[in-house]
Amino acid sequence: MTEVMNEEIHTEEKGKSLKDILTEAEGLECPVQRLGYVIEEFIAGPMCGKCFPCALGTAEARMRINRISSRDSGADASDISVLKRIGLRMMEGSLCKKGKDTGNYIIACLAASGDEFMDHVKGRCFKKQCLSLVVFHIEPELCTVCGKCLEVCRDNAILGEPGSTFLSGYLPFEIRQKRCSRCGACLAVCPSGAISANALEQEITGSKSCF
Amino acid sequence: MENMVKLQIDGRDVESPAGINIIEAARLGGIHVPNLCYLRGMKGIGACRLCLVEVEGLKAPVIACNTNVREGMVIRTNTERVSEIRKFVIELILSMHPLDCMTCTKAGICNLQKYAYDFGIKESTFLRKKFGYPADETNPFIKRDPEYCIMCGRCVRVCREQGTKVLDFMGRGIDTKVVTALDRPLQESGCTFCGSCVDVCPVNALLEADRWRKGREWEYERIASVCLMCGGSCDITASIHDGMVCKISAGATEGSSERFVCAYGRFGFDALVSGSRITVPMKRIDGELRETTWEDALEIVAGKLKEAGDQAGFVSVANLMNEDALTLKRLAVDAVKTPHFDTTLSLYADSSSFLESQTAAVDDTDLFLLVGINPCQWKRVLPALDSSLRRRVNRGAGLIVINSSETGIAGIATVNIKGNEASVLKGIVKALFGKGLKGDKKLRDMSDGAEITAEVETAATLIQKARNPLILSSPSLFGASLNVALLKGKAVAVGFEANSRGTALMGLATDGKTYKEMVSGGMKVLYAIGEVPLAKRPDSGFLVVQNAYKTELAQQADIVLPSAATLESSGTVVDSFGRMKHLSCVTVPFGESRVHRDIFISLSGIMGTAIKKPGAAEIKRAVRVRQKLTASPFEKRDDINILPDSISEDINSSVIISSRLAWLRESAKVQAV
Repeated sequence: MTEVMNEEIHTEEKGKSLKDILTEAEGLECPVQRLGYVIEEFIAGPMCGKCFPCALGTAEARMRINRISSRDSGADASDISVLKRIGLRMMEGSLCKKGKDTGNYIIACLAASGDEFMDHVKGRCFKKQCLSLVVFHIEPELCTVCGKCLEVCRDNAILGEPGSTFLSGYLPFEIRQKRCSRCGACLAVCPSGAISANALEQEITGSKSCF
Repeated sequence: MENMVKLQIDGRDVESPAGINIIEAARLGGIHVPNLCYLRGMKGIGACRLCLVEVEGLKAPVIACNTNVREGMVIRTNTERVSEIRKFVIELILSMHPLDCMTCTKAGICNLQKYAYDFGIKESTFLRKKFGYPADETNPFIKRDPEYCIMCGRCVRVCREQGTKVLDFMGRGIDTKVVTALDRPLQESGCTFCGSCVDVCPVNALLEADRWRKGREWEYERIASVCLMCGGSCDITASIHDGMVCKISAGATEGSSERFVCAYGRFGFDALVSGSRITVPMKRIDGELRETTWEDALEIVAGKLKEAGDQAGFVSVANLMNEDALTLKRLAVDAVKTPHFDTTLSLYADSSSFLESQTAAVDDTDLFLLVGINPCQWKRVLPALDSSLRRRVNRGAGLIVINSSETGIAGIATVNIKGNEASVLKGIVKALFGKGLKGDKKLRDMSDGAEITAEVETAATLIQKARNPLILSSPSLFGASLNVALLKGKAVAVGFEANSRGTALMGLATDGKTYKEMVSGGMKVLYAIGEVPLAKRPDSGFLVVQNAYKTELAQQADIVLPSAATLESSGTVVDSFGRMKHLSCVTVPFGESRVHRDIFISLSGIMGTAIKKPGAAEIKRAVRVRQKLTASPFEKRDDINILPDSISEDINSSVIISSRLAWLRESAKVQAV
């Protein structure tokens, strides 16, 4: 068994190692995003994909994380329990250490931030990194109708006409939520900080007037 | 003797040979360890993780396919921990597998289905995954449907091990796909259509192309038989449904390197019910062949034979079964009283070499010497020998190729000696004497003056060190090969027809004219049995053809007797390695055709000399011939130096042109253009 393991570790060691990926993932605050990133990078990089629990398990985990981090995907608590099952079985059943470690990471992640995963299932990402679960909103009082957001919005989701601030009669910009893909481009260019991202749930209860 | 170890599996005390893996040990104890990717005889790769078992004293479960048994091991194969992993894996596979067991052809022998049932998995809890890969259905032999593939890699490994190397993995993880080079159809990728991959596929991803709606696996009756198309005499298992052959698969023991059937043996069974079969006896009236009755036809033949007496001659192929061969000899000697009876064997061998040929087991051999033969799976020249040698070499055996021309198999040889075979063997014998091996003085004298090149020296060292060397010799070089075996190892003459050795042992070798002499003309009555390689009617007074297929020769005969084809009669053959193999009757003879030996017995009955149907004891006695082996001159018999290439094509041409095998030639033509 050790022979097989060594061989595989040897041949597949290119690009990022699992350790690099885990370190990089620390930069992500949202645990769902972090886990998603680790799984995605693991599949793309160090995974050898020869033994079934790891090769098929990670693919299933990736699909489940996508469900958890997306709006209207029908995600529920079973997605989390499936993730947990995948983690446990990978820990025990995988051929090599990489697979076992990844399984271990899934378990650790769920154990440390189980509540946040549950929040996601309910449609909220308070770390505002699961963009599908985030709502962008323009604060009317702060908007200067400069039009910079209009220029960068690739979804044509911003409603309004750019104008000069000293002229009255212009309405503040609004975001058409159905079009918004939550790419965050407007957030980056807004000079007055009028655009904010909020977790879905908060937005709906907070300022319904926006819709 | 092998070392035995005692261990405990699931509370049962099991005694097993040391050095085997846990799956095999458990099997000996009657316990099945689930597995999807394990292949008997090959090293376990541990991909499917179904065979994980718990060993007392070890923290983590270990894979049973690649963990050898040790004395005192306490193994549990069915704990909750490993069951959970198994269920997990099966559920994951099911989530990406088409769930159409109700119409799936492999239902019944599908391992995935079996385990889903065993573990009680009604449906997968995982998300459904679809790929949409197209199936390769461009050849009439093997259908490849990647949609069903579970990526166990059995096909890839079996193809690689036998040296064809057509299939390989593409991609990683869930995107893995088993492909040919550049994902081309099989016929464009060097595939020989042997179907070894079909035999090992645990699911419906690889399948015989014509099997759809031809009976379910559990409706088949499986009958063990032997393929008689070439000198390989491969064991086969025929699956019968409604009296029809539906599938033929390799029949040798699982894990044996001889578990192989080539495309001819596996897919040639279409010919059994094709239009080219002769269904009724025929006689020539006014220059035309007309249907007649058996009574009439036999009466005429018996009359002609009686009239001709020792002017009658019998020519036969050497893939007759022992019983047929023995009856034929009795018919010729006792009833017709002619010394002229011979087989195609005489074209390539001296029948005495088969009497001296020794018995050997391929799987116990650790060094092969291939003398003067050029087996090739791609050209289907002794393909089973080629594949089994490649497998044995891949499993660690040595191979010395001695041939005067280029051979394909030399690519995997430990030592390849190109040169006159007889003088190379002479050199080897001299070198072996030099290494202190004891032997006949006469042999020592004969080997004097031989040249010992560096290669010969290496070969001799290998032979000296080997445990069980085996010399596979062309019949034309058997005498010289046997000289080496007199010092060490065993020598076997490789027959080019399925029962070369058996026919020789049954004594079906002429006392009068040889095959060549008889077919060149001059016989009053010539009686041709089987598909003898003749296209033109020999210049003889009266020609009787007894064959299963309408050959060119049959069309020119005076009387045509329909005989049962292979798979339609039972009997025994003796393969090149000296093993007696039993053939079971798989289907009833087609139309009015009769078994060879019955025809011979009827004929002799009409002629007034009753001959007996040979019993099993007689066959056994005939096979048990023991010759005293003596040194013979180092020479190559040029008079019988016919290559197996042509002979195997010739004696099978009817089967090839009247089954889907014809497609192979068409396809080869297209590829060439």
